Order: sequence, then C-alpha cells, then structure tokens
Amino acid sequence: MLHLQDCTFFTRKEILRLFDRYRDLAPQLVPLDYTDQPDVRLPYELIGSMPELKDNPFRQRIAEVFSEDGEGNMTLDDFLDMFSVLSEMAPRDLKAYYAFKIYDFNNDDFLCKSDLEKTLNKLTRNELTEDEVRMVCEKVIDEADLDNDGRLSLEDFQHMIVRAPDFLSTFHIRI
Amino acid sequence: MSFDDKKHIRGQVLALKSFKKSRQLNCFSDCSTTVSLAFRRCGANMTLAKQTLELWRGTMKEVGGKFGTGVLSYFKFLKWLLMFNIFSFLVNFGFITIPQLIYHPTPDIPAGVSFKGLEILTGAGYFSHTVMYYGGYSNKTQGTGGRSEYNMQLAYFFTVAAYMVLCGAALIYSMASSFRKKYVLADSGLGGAWQLLCSWDFSVTNEKAVRQRKNNLRIQLKESLSEKVQVALLPLTERLKHYGVFLGTWLLSTGMALGCGASVYFLSSSGSLLEEAATLLLPFVVSLINLVVPLFYSLFKKIEHYSNPRMQVYAIIVRNVILKMSILGILCYYWMKDVANTFSCWESIVGQALYRLVIMDFLFIMLGSFFGEFLSNVIGTKCIQSLGVPEFDVARNVLDLIYAQTLAWIGIYFSPLLPVIQIIKFFILFYLKKVSLTQNCQPPRRAGRAAQMQTIFIAILFFPSFVGALSMVAYTVWTLPPSDKCGPFRGLNTTFSAIQIWMDDLNRVDAFQWTVWIYQHVIRSEIFYFLISLIILVFIYIFRQITQGRQLLITLLRQQIVNVSSGELSGLTCLVHQSCCVRSGCVYVMMLLKCWNNIFS
Repeated sequence: MLHLQDCTFFTRKEILRLFDRYRDLAPQLVPLDYTDQPDVRLPYELIGSMPELKDNPFRQRIAEVFSEDGEGNMTLDDFLDMFSVLSEMAPRDLKAYYAFKIYDFNNDDFLCKSDLEKTLNKLTRNELTEDEVRMVCEKVIDEADLDNDGRLSLEDFQHMIVRAPDFLSTFHIRI
Repeated sequence: MSFDDKKHIRGQVLALKSFKKSRQLNCFSDCSTTVSLAFRRCGANMTLAKQTLELWRGTMKEVGGKFGTGVLSYFKFLKWLLMFNIFSFLVNFGFITIPQLIYHPTPDIPAGVSFKGLEILTGAGYFSHTVMYYGGYSNKTQGTGGRSEYNMQLAYFFTVAAYMVLCGAALIYSMASSFRKKYVLADSGLGGAWQLLCSWDFSVTNEKAVRQRKNNLRIQLKESLSEKVQVALLPLTERLKHYGVFLGTWLLSTGMALGCGASVYFLSSSGSLLEEAATLLLPFVVSLINLVVPLFYSLFKKIEHYSNPRMQVYAIIVRNVILKMSILGILCYYWMKDVANTFSCWESIVGQALYRLVIMDFLFIMLGSFFGEFLSNVIGTKCIQSLGVPEFDVARNVLDLIYAQTLAWIGIYFSPLLPVIQIIKFFILFYLKKVSLTQNCQPPRRAGRAAQMQTIFIAILFFPSFVGALSMVAYTVWTLPPSDKCGPFRGLNTTFSAIQIWMDDLNRVDAFQWTVWIYQHVIRSEIFYFLISLIILVFIYIFRQITQGRQLLITLLRQQIVNVSSGELSGLTCLVHQSCCVRSGCVYVMMLLKCWNNIFS
C-alpha cells in the first residue's frame, strides 16, 4: 500500500476506493487480498464499461496506452496508474506525455496526418467531409509543427500544451 | 513507463541504499530521505483531511462532469466570493458587534417602534436601531478603565481597513497568478490545433453531453475554416458599414446606460420615498434595469458582425459592466452628496438602502432564473421547437455575482452585518442555480477559453468593483463628516480624526514614539508615496524591457529549430543578419555563439 501511495498521486483512502471500484468491475476475478500480488487482468470490455469512460471517444486508446500488454487489459497497477495520471494532481508534463501517446494511433512516436485524421473523426462522429478533414489536419500541422517535418513530435505537442492553459483541467477524469 | 518499470527502479534504488548502508554508517542521507518521505505522507494526509472539510465538493464534481469546465468556473467563482463574505462576517462580528453586544446587550429602541414583517424587505424600522447598521454602535470607550478598555472607534476603523486591505491583497494575488498562468502564455492564433488536440474535455461523462460537445466542436471547426476565407474578402464599403454599425450600437448602449443612471438619480432625489413601503421602489427599478437592459444588449448581437466571436462576448461583458457601474456610481454620488447633508443619521440610511438593494437583487436573480431558464426551457422544448434548450450564460451570471459583491463591499462600512445576508444569499443561490442548471439548461455552445474568461472576471472584480467600493469608503472616511447623533464617530470632524486623536494620545507616552514617527513621516507625508510610485514605475519599466527581450529571443530560437532540423547553413547567415537589426545586442550575440557551437560541435 505504501509503495502504491508513493508511485501514484493518490492518498491512502483514494487508493482503497479505487481498489473497490476495480473489484466491483469483476468481483469473481479480483481477490480481496493483494499481498501475494496475484496476476489478475481485467479485460478491456469491463474497463470500457465504467461510467467515467463509457462515453469517452478515446476510451479504447486510453486503455491501450495504460495497459501493459497494449491491448487494453489492465491489472490493478495499470488501473491506478491510469487514474493517477488523469487526476488533478498529476503535473502537466506527465499529462502531455500520455495525451501524446493517446493521440498517436500508430504508435510511431509522431502525430502524423493519419493520426490527426483519426482523432478528428473520433471527435466529430465522422460528419465532416473529406475535404474539411484534410483542411483541418493541414491547419493543425501548419500551426503546431515547429521543426517543419510535416508531423508533430512530442516536443511540438508539449510546446502547444504549454500555451493552452485549460489543458490541465480538461485532461482530467474525476473518479 | 509502465508500473513494473517504476517498481523495478524503486527496487533498485532501495537495494542501492541498503548496500550503501551496510558499507558506510552514513545515516544522515537516510534520515533526510525518511524525513522527506514522512513529510510527503503527512502532506497527503492533510490533503485528505482538507478534502473531507471542503464545501460542496461532490456537487461541483457532478456539475463539472455534466456541463464542463466553463460552467464549473461559475460555481467556483461563487464559492470563492462566499469565502470573502464568511471572512468579512467573522471579522466584523468578532471585533465590532460582539463588544457592542457585551456592553449594550439590548438595543435602545425608541418607544412605538416594533417589529413588523416588512423590515426583512426594507431593512428600516426596527432594524435601523439595532447593531445591523452603523448607527447602532456607540462611540464610547467600553470597559471599566484601567485594564480592559476597548476603543470602539479604533476597532471599527481598523476592522474595516484591515478587511479591505486583505481583500485587495487576495484579489491582486489571484489576478496576478491567474494572469501569469493563463493569459501571458496563451496565444490567440492557436485556433485549429488547440481545438482539435487540447479542448476535448475528458471529464464529461454524460452521453447526451458528449454528443452535444461533438456537435459543437464540429460546428466550431467548420466556422474556423470558413472564417479565414471570409475576412480577406470584405470590400471597403462593407467594412465601413460594419464600423458604422459598431459605432451606432456602442453609442446606443452607452447612452442607455447613462440614461438609466440619470433616471435613477431623479427617482432617488424625488423626495417622496420616505414611507417604508415606498422605499422599495428605487431598488426595484434598479434591479429591473439590470435585468432588462442586458437583454436589449444581446439583441445587438443580431446586427453586429464581429470577425472574432470572442470579441462579441467581450463587447457584451463591457457593456454590462458599464451599465451596472454607472448605476452604482450615480447612487453612490447621490448618497455622498445629498443624503450625507440632509439626514441626521445618514450612514444608517445608506446602510438601509444597500440592504434593500441586496435583497431586491436576490429576488430578481431568483425571478431571472425562473423566467430566463425555466420558462425558456418550456418554450424551447414544447412551444417553439426551433429555439431549443437554453444555454447557461456564464458571463451574465458571473457579472450578476460581481454586482452583488460590489454592493456588499460598499456596505462594509455602513452596515457591518450585511455579510450575513450575503452569505445566506449565496448559499441559496448555489443550490438554486444548480437545480436550474440540471433541469433546464444545456452547456454553452462555444467550448472555450474558460481560463481566459476567468482572468477577465477576476480583473473586473478587482478593477471597477473592488477599487470603486474602496474609493467610496475611503472618500467617506477621509472627507465626509460623520453624523452627530449616532454611530461610533459622532462628534468628530471626519472619521479619520479618530486616528489623529489616538496618535496624539500615544505621543504622550514615551514608549510609542516610534509609532507616532511612522504615522507622521510615512503615512501622512506625500514624499513617501511619491518615492514609492517612482520606484514601482522604474521596476515596471525594467521588467517590461526584459519581457520584450525574451519574446524576441523566443522568435529567434524558433527559427533556429527550423534551421537546425532542415540542416541549412544559410539559415545561420539569415540569423546573423536578423540579429544585427535588433536593438539589444548582447543577448543575441550570446545566442549566436550558442548556434555556432551547436553547428560545429
């Protein structure tokens, strides 16, 4: 418990509460006693059905980024890690790092045009025309790409986040 | 980094530490790590304790989840203002009212005046002889002489002064920190990128809300795509027409504000308002103006075409602020000039007028909530389907809060227990707005710039609102003669003479000569303020130059990133050329040297 408290941004009471939430998702899979560190993974479907995540357009990417196996199946540590980064107390750089990974659909450490297009489609329910999608993505890359290589690296993304003061409060899930 | 990696690293660090421990008996670093860890855990426990005591935490979470950060900022602002009022109440009650109640437990009410129900609305009658207003306080030094003496005059003055100074300091601090975090770094040119990547609110959990936000984002993106095309295409005649329309609407709105101010002045000086029920007419008219005229202002939206939708919000805010402040300004002028010379216990009269304004404002906010939100919802969903569910107008509601708080700040001197009414009002308002919001409204369509709006609201709270209230109270204390027959300062020339008398008293005691010296040579001398202003101006100039230099440096460094990544040496010569054209040389010479090192190392 103490090492969990040190490695996340939560207090003891919050960790216990999160553990109860984790357990409620699948009471028959998760044991009450975690001292011998059992290897329990909850499948993505259960995580994605949580009320805080079920309407979020990025829930699948969030689960994939924070899970160890990259498929969305989370252990308790992954679960706590996820909500710790998405809580109010996480610093901006950490949130920017994970937000970048969430938007990076093809996991190549760059936000290329196809990543931006997928992000845009998730955010607008596929209702923009092809032309509009292309124009918006081009505009984004024009504005944010500092080193002119046609795609956004982590530094470009962080630079943009520094100038968006709302980011800390929007990249936040309350649990 | 996955959790296992973190655990692995932590395990390695612990192993290293225990290895070191077995080799050296150096317990100091171990102690310091344990101590810092203990502090961190203690801090976590204190945060936990603070969270359980925090007011309305669950409600704010719920509102933020359904309606987003913009609407949540209204409720946070309300809670912050409530804290100001609670502090004011504690300070006033503790230092002014309790001593008065101890020495004069029953108020001396003249015969024939009894409590009728109307006092709750008008504040006059029975209340005007109690400790609610300035007139209810005595001017004698309480106590049995010798040990426990309590000088009511000094207590009253210093309590009000200390509260105003602390409020001012708190406002300046939050304004500066909000400005630094949210305004200086934000760039207005980040339309598309910001909207796409940073503006999605992850905390929204309601399916309907999510769908609405997606729609709004789509509409905003479409708008911003078409905006750029539009601006370039306007011919000169069109632009002249737009400027003409702007001039017309601004003249009209300022004229309406001044006209309302003049009518309030004539109404208040008409003199027929001295019976109890008729005194309610003035606050009624003021609140009616505050409710109806902003609706007119929002009609101007249809005629004007601002290129930037944010400018429209700013225009509405500025117009509303001009209206409210001009009405308050006219009322203050009337109180300072006419009431102070006409009535015998004029501070209590002013206190009563403020009480009525506060109560009437509260009633009108409730009515406004009913008509503005509930009825709009009914009309929008059942009768005229095209209107839809009303939006929660954050700007208008925050301006109402600022107006209410201005009234409370003006009333600090005239009615020490006015914060009680304000506290009750804000409490009820919180729950009322929350219920109205959840039943009737949808989140605002423009997702945006909640942080910048927050800065603007705090700035409005400081500049016209707090500074205005402070200047009015300061003018009263410094120049106006207090009334003869009631209040703690009766018989003096001005309220400030109480301090002068106290200083004269202290002068006779040797031990306090330093206080008298400070008073005479620092507070009362003009040279001191002149020097302070000069020093502050010099510092502002220096910091501004530093800021400008840094901005120039940022531009050049950005160019360097482009040049380095595309590997062009010619970029370097361009940089050299640019830096020669720049004023302050040494910073850029340093940067050049850095460039040179990077390329050739």
